[in-house]
Amino acid sequence: MIRYALTRLTLALPTIIIALFLIFVLIRLIPGDPAQLILGEVDDPAALARIRADLALDKPLPMQFLYWVLALARGDFGTSITMQSPVLDLLGPAFAVTASLVVPSVVIAALLALPLGMLAAWRRNTRTDTAVVAVSTLSLSIPAFWLGLMLLLLFGVKLDLFPVVGYVSLAEDFGEGLHYLALPVLTLALIEAGVLVRLVRASTVEVLQLDYIAHARAKGLTEVAVAGRHALPNVMGPTWTMIGLVLGGLLGGAVVIETVFSLPGLGRLMVEAVFARDYPLVQGCMVVVMLSYVGVNLLVELTAPLLCPAVRHE
Amino acid sequence: MSRSLVHRLRLLTAWGGLLAAAVLPAAAAVTPTGLMQIPLTSDIRGTNPGVNRDANTDTIMMHVLEGLVGYREDGTPDLLLAQALTLSPDGRRYTFRLREGLTFHNGQPVTAAEVVWSWRRYLDPRTNWTCLADFNGTRGAKIEAVEADDPLTVSFTLDRPQPLFLTLMAGFNCGGSAILHPDSVDAEGKWREPVSTGPYRITRWERGRAIDMEAFAGYRPLPGPPDGNVRGKVALEPHLRWLIIRDASSRLAALVKGQVDVMPEVPAAEMLQVRRLKGVHIVSAPMLGSYGILVQDQDPLLADPRIREAIACAIDRQALARLVTEGTVDANPSIVASASPYGVGRDAGAALYDPDRSRALLKEAGYDGQSIVLTTNRRYPAMFNQALLVQAMARQVGLNIRIEVLEWATQMDRWRRGDFQLFSFGFTAKADAAQSYESILGDRVASRSKTWGDPAARALLADSMNTGDVEQRRRIFDELYQRMLHDVPYIALFSPADINAVRDGVTGFRSWQFGRARLWGVKREGGQAS
Amino acid sequence: MLMQRPSGIAGVTVIALILLAAAIGALAPPYDPTMVDFTTRLSPPSSAHWLGTDEWGRDVLSRLLSGTAVTVAVAGLTTLLVTISGALLGAFSGLAGGWLDRCVVALMDAFLAFPALVLAIAMTAVLAGSSLAPVVALGVAYLPYMVRVVRAHVLTLRGRDFIAASRVMGNSPAYTLLRHVIPNTVAPVLVMSTSLFGWALLAESALSFLGLGLAPPAASWGGMLADSRNYFADAPWLALAPGIAISGALLGINLFGDFCRDYFDRKTKD
Repeated sequence: MIRYALTRLTLALPTIIIALFLIFVLIRLIPGDPAQLILGEVDDPAALARIRADLALDKPLPMQFLYWVLALARGDFGTSITMQSPVLDLLGPAFAVTASLVVPSVVIAALLALPLGMLAAWRRNTRTDTAVVAVSTLSLSIPAFWLGLMLLLLFGVKLDLFPVVGYVSLAEDFGEGLHYLALPVLTLALIEAGVLVRLVRASTVEVLQLDYIAHARAKGLTEVAVAGRHALPNVMGPTWTMIGLVLGGLLGGAVVIETVFSLPGLGRLMVEAVFARDYPLVQGCMVVVMLSYVGVNLLVELTAPLLCPAVRHE
Repeated sequence: MSRSLVHRLRLLTAWGGLLAAAVLPAAAAVTPTGLMQIPLTSDIRGTNPGVNRDANTDTIMMHVLEGLVGYREDGTPDLLLAQALTLSPDGRRYTFRLREGLTFHNGQPVTAAEVVWSWRRYLDPRTNWTCLADFNGTRGAKIEAVEADDPLTVSFTLDRPQPLFLTLMAGFNCGGSAILHPDSVDAEGKWREPVSTGPYRITRWERGRAIDMEAFAGYRPLPGPPDGNVRGKVALEPHLRWLIIRDASSRLAALVKGQVDVMPEVPAAEMLQVRRLKGVHIVSAPMLGSYGILVQDQDPLLADPRIREAIACAIDRQALARLVTEGTVDANPSIVASASPYGVGRDAGAALYDPDRSRALLKEAGYDGQSIVLTTNRRYPAMFNQALLVQAMARQVGLNIRIEVLEWATQMDRWRRGDFQLFSFGFTAKADAAQSYESILGDRVASRSKTWGDPAARALLADSMNTGDVEQRRRIFDELYQRMLHDVPYIALFSPADINAVRDGVTGFRSWQFGRARLWGVKREGGQAS
Repeated sequence: MLMQRPSGIAGVTVIALILLAAAIGALAPPYDPTMVDFTTRLSPPSSAHWLGTDEWGRDVLSRLLSGTAVTVAVAGLTTLLVTISGALLGAFSGLAGGWLDRCVVALMDAFLAFPALVLAIAMTAVLAGSSLAPVVALGVAYLPYMVRVVRAHVLTLRGRDFIAASRVMGNSPAYTLLRHVIPNTVAPVLVMSTSLFGWALLAESALSFLGLGLAPPAASWGGMLADSRNYFADAPWLALAPGIAISGALLGINLFGDFCRDYFDRKTKD
């Protein structure tokens, strides 16, 4: 299995390098100059040239790329232009914030989606089914940022139950951290649950048409036993893959939720870095985003056979 | 929202003191007497004076650093580490007599040797001092020599008279040309930490999170009531912590909760909320600096002075200023701030609004609804909102202005290339009126961001830098102002206000025209609010 | 068929409504959506302003309608761009096979891993102020999905007799592609396009919300939502109107998408 993982990682390498090269070139080609942003509204060519030299921005592009990749290979992510601190020091806390938002959301969404989706499939074409499908379609249709704003308005402003802005990290104060994370996690969980419920329902409907479910029923097993022992493992396969996709995507892309709830996560760090043309920081964020995307998907792929035996047969 | 924030606070505290623990993480542990906390919009860039800096860096370092001179409340220079200054009759030799008994943060006495050392370091190009160009002859005079005449006397020799010498020296972006102890750098001359003479010292800098300061026990303030960053600098609070909170609404929430005691730089958009907060009052003053619209006359349409003037006349500056700043300031049609001794009266803005003249000018120029692009950005709400209002007002006289919103970095690129028709912009605080005019006036070939190159105006600007006489300078700046109104290279709209929200119980906080929070002389009563 | 499915009817109705709103917004909104009026700032819904006014006294309904036109245009253009280029690229890649196919797949994977948001900022910087910026950014972000779907479908088609027959008959690959492959991928492409339209609509709103969408003062749903945040407590209608518009539109599109999927599923089974 380890060998398989290594092979997969090697296969993903070209993709990662292409994407890194794309971002490297793109961020430098677009208008805007970090040196000018540092200077502000001072029009001083000499000072500009000095800062550019300081930041090694006066070197040819291929050289800059080479230096960066070589440093990266040594684990050196460089120094942020705007914040003057090592990029790695900025990425760590930001990633922790995003992870503490995204991971619980996806877990909650999955825990909601599995029973609901299976129930809907079991009661196919009944009112229960219609209700579940309707609610999940609705939750799919509500933009995360609006749901977040509305939850803030209701629970934060009107009912005074949760803080409206700010952030306390879980490591600093677990209880207070939870208090700050509750609303964003809830928002994200509700949205993601919509996707997962529909997926679980569709997979269950397919599984239920298979012969061995009929066999199990013929043997006189209770419906709960059929669901738990026979249907669930088969439903888990596609669901698990989907969870991986969602998680991988969100770890780099929860910027909207982070903005609504003013959480200092990876998405916001990256967006601000792009705005400030903080090249090393943008590149560092990209590396983390892509590694987490590839990593999570690999992890899901490797664990799938353990969790859902059905996958092994394929 | 604000009321409910306060409300929620009460609710939370009732929930078991969770909040107090979370909000004041290490406060009780660090100092039993409490800790003054102030939010900062972003981390500082470094501690090396005037080398790697931005506005926040300057504000922080102002508490730590001191130079031979500083600024008084009105922005004029005054002696700080020096107690006397003599200027040679030819205006080329400045001799400073240092105050006696001053010590650095490391306990060493301040002598002429350190002054010479500090200045020679600044003038060394390898230091990368931001203000080098002002002192090495690139822009104006050149310092030919810095010498110690005796242990407490230093003299600077210039190659020509420079009336603005002291003003330039005190510049915030130069780190106030702070006098440093050589221990500030290591054996190889690499920057370590600032060992200076200011009322506070940095004890800890946790990047991206907080900067801790401690009052410098050996500090000897200049007597007298607080004035600028020179007099009455008494560190009443023994410990300061600057918390880096990027998000404006997070800063506001922190203020409501009592996590921070003062919130500098309140954005105008938050004023609605701040005004209704209980237990918080606002301290504000007009700031130096100017917001307005740059006009590119190299554009074929805008080359016609009648069109340029028509745009300027169409704008009701007073209404615009009140709306954009949520009623905190009045219009200011001069690029020189209203707070400056060379500013214009507060009614000047309203008098310039003349839509009928605007219509007549447009008709005379044969304007036929051609679209004029006004470039702005979303990063700075005031720049965006003023563009929106200029567009709306121009429409009233039949001007067809189209707003183009660029991302800030792109907009800065366009500004430097002079690539625009109308450009919504804001200039930061400049200590001297000449520096304000320099932002738009100068050699347009060398510097394409300038929209004004009129030789007569440039000559006037040069004159203003060659004299220190206030009356004479006022006449020069008045004429420059009239010429600016005539040529319309820039439509100045207002000078922004420095708005600070301060918790009741905090005394001594005074806003400043430079818009920099000064925490000396500030005291909290009854310890940390809970 | 359509009439037997209530969700289908609902979906089609909503889409018709959106198009109508877009047409009104583009051609004849009740007020000029960019008209600033200082005297009516933040006024609640009334008979003169059905959905109230915003912080600059602009009519919210007019802004909502003209925002619809903008959003529909961006989402529609993106979908069109992705559908055409994605279908061609996917079909080509699937048919060609070999290293060409592998190159396309690797490039698409790289696009997938590339955060659309960064691309959007980049495009906003390059195509300053142009309405093409979000279209290009979203187009690149969604292209891989369409390519994947079409390529997978073409791979299953490739083994089928009529494709082989067309090749044996000496038809050029281009002819085979256009005559036999593309027509047979219409169903999955259509289903995917419906989803894409929904995604693009949502993404456009999110981009505008983050200040990366179309340039204000042109109204857009996401931009209106973003601007409403400072006036949350004083003027909740500013947040409600665009939010309900986005959600309603997405719901309609999702319902229509479900309907399409069911319809084609049944057709293939029959």
